[in-house]
Amino acid sequence: MSIPTLDIQDLKLGFKGYTGYAEVLHGISLSVAPGERVALVGESGSGKSVTARIVLGLLQELRTARISGSVRFEGKELDRLTKRERHALRGRAMSMIFQDPTSSLNPVFRIGEQFHDVLRRADAKITREAALERAASILAEVSVRDADRVLNAFPFQLSGGLNQRVMIAMALANEPALLIADEPGTALDVTVQAQTLQLMRKLVEEHHTAVLFISHNLGVVREFADRVYVIYKGRIVEQGPTRAVFEGPRHPYTRALMAAVPRLTGGGIPDIEENSPDFGAPIEIHPDEVQT
Amino acid sequence: MTAPILELDNVSKTFGTGDDVVQAAQSISFGVTKGECLAIVGESGSGKSTVANMILGIYPPTSGEIHLNGSVLPSRRQLAHRRAIQLVQQNPLSSLNPKRSIGASLRLALDVHEIGAKNERADLVSALLEEVGLPADYAKRSPTALSGGQRQRVAIARALACQSQLVVLDEPTSALDVLVQARVLKLLNQLRETRNLTFVFITHDLSVVRNIASRIAVFERGRMIELGDTSTLFSNPAHPYTRRLISAVPVVTDEEAALRSALAAGLEDTN
Repeated sequence: MSIPTLDIQDLKLGFKGYTGYAEVLHGISLSVAPGERVALVGESGSGKSVTARIVLGLLQELRTARISGSVRFEGKELDRLTKRERHALRGRAMSMIFQDPTSSLNPVFRIGEQFHDVLRRADAKITREAALERAASILAEVSVRDADRVLNAFPFQLSGGLNQRVMIAMALANEPALLIADEPGTALDVTVQAQTLQLMRKLVEEHHTAVLFISHNLGVVREFADRVYVIYKGRIVEQGPTRAVFEGPRHPYTRALMAAVPRLTGGGIPDIEENSPDFGAPIEIHPDEVQT
Repeated sequence: MTAPILELDNVSKTFGTGDDVVQAAQSISFGVTKGECLAIVGESGSGKSTVANMILGIYPPTSGEIHLNGSVLPSRRQLAHRRAIQLVQQNPLSSLNPKRSIGASLRLALDVHEIGAKNERADLVSALLEEVGLPADYAKRSPTALSGGQRQRVAIARALACQSQLVVLDEPTSALDVLVQARVLKLLNQLRETRNLTFVFITHDLSVVRNIASRIAVFERGRMIELGDTSTLFSNPAHPYTRRLISAVPVVTDEEAALRSALAAGLEDTN
């Protein structure tokens, strides 16, 4: 068996504040194999975004955060790396796509310049011309036809959908082993969202990129992921292949979550409890499908 | 057929002057029957919020008329007009004053519109909170001490405070988690029945309107391109854009996916 691209074991996170210590992740474990698309799905406050931030090493810089457990990236314990080594990973071996593309791109630099910056992280000596050429070819992969115009534009001159594609192209520019996507496309219209998801799926398949996909939207998860982890209040409550989880959710929380999604085929609004002591039930694990 | 409670007659709205003109709404006409839930769906820039704002009197139409119970609404609304049409917004944290307690926010609506005798208003506030499923002692709390779903319940209570018949709901559940959304939609349905309310429900979420609206108006770039009964619109949409919109919705069951691909197949035929 190959080494997982990302392997998280018993990760705990707490914050020290004026009112004492608050634990927000109570020991979660998850793994993403090379080329695998894994979704972490949960409601707001469940701990999905902080998990992504820990993997990127962003929360470790926070003085009030207390983190324990193990996060391994391609077999390397992230905790043991120096600050410089961790910095070198970001934007090269692992990259991230954020929810709102327009606000995560720098408004005062042209797209081309930002691409140059990104590509320089992998190859410090790359010239502007070479960077722009490479950028144009990656943009073509995300179906951006007039790459010259886009590279010459500022982010606010482009539509949200176009910015999202630029973000995806940038995130994949250095051929990362792991892509973390935090609610990608949530800020976009549904037709544009469907389009960008398709593009992203095609691209990570071609480049064999592992993806940790963070979302609250079950429909999007069903369409994108191979495997799903359901997180509730800082605990993983159910995990398994996407089909198995969607067709036969076992945990009371997952069942409630699935039932609460309004159906396109109608059927009215279901009667569901917002909260139930059953939601604290132990984790349900679906067996992996037989690998072929 | 009863006369519509609200009627838009050839309403248009243009923003800007000279060369820089945006036709935000173009010749929109539809009626809303008492007791129904009419949904307006569309993507950003489709004009759905422009129409909502004109119904509420936030700005007047450039041309056309809006009728409420058969009489034309003036561009400058009187207190009585404002009482007749109420609004629930998307983000209750920004629509509730953070410096006022929940009770004070509700009380203000009662005071402005002089609902009930002064000494009865505290009881009315408690009754409103209970009607939306919140304990009466929440009146003392600040909006920041409530969860998103609870805050949206308060916003709904405030819309009910002045006993209006027509409520405009602008993306009322888009900021909520899916479990909370189900509870709030349930509450809205229930209030519509008990109070015989009429809803204009503005949203981009087609899965939600499928389950709550009686009729749906689809907007695209300032035009209303289709208006129909909810079940007809989903089983046999007339306009290709409606088909495109429905077939782009992410779904959770195979049954829904089948509906989607059936609509998408129809799309290829027309192309």
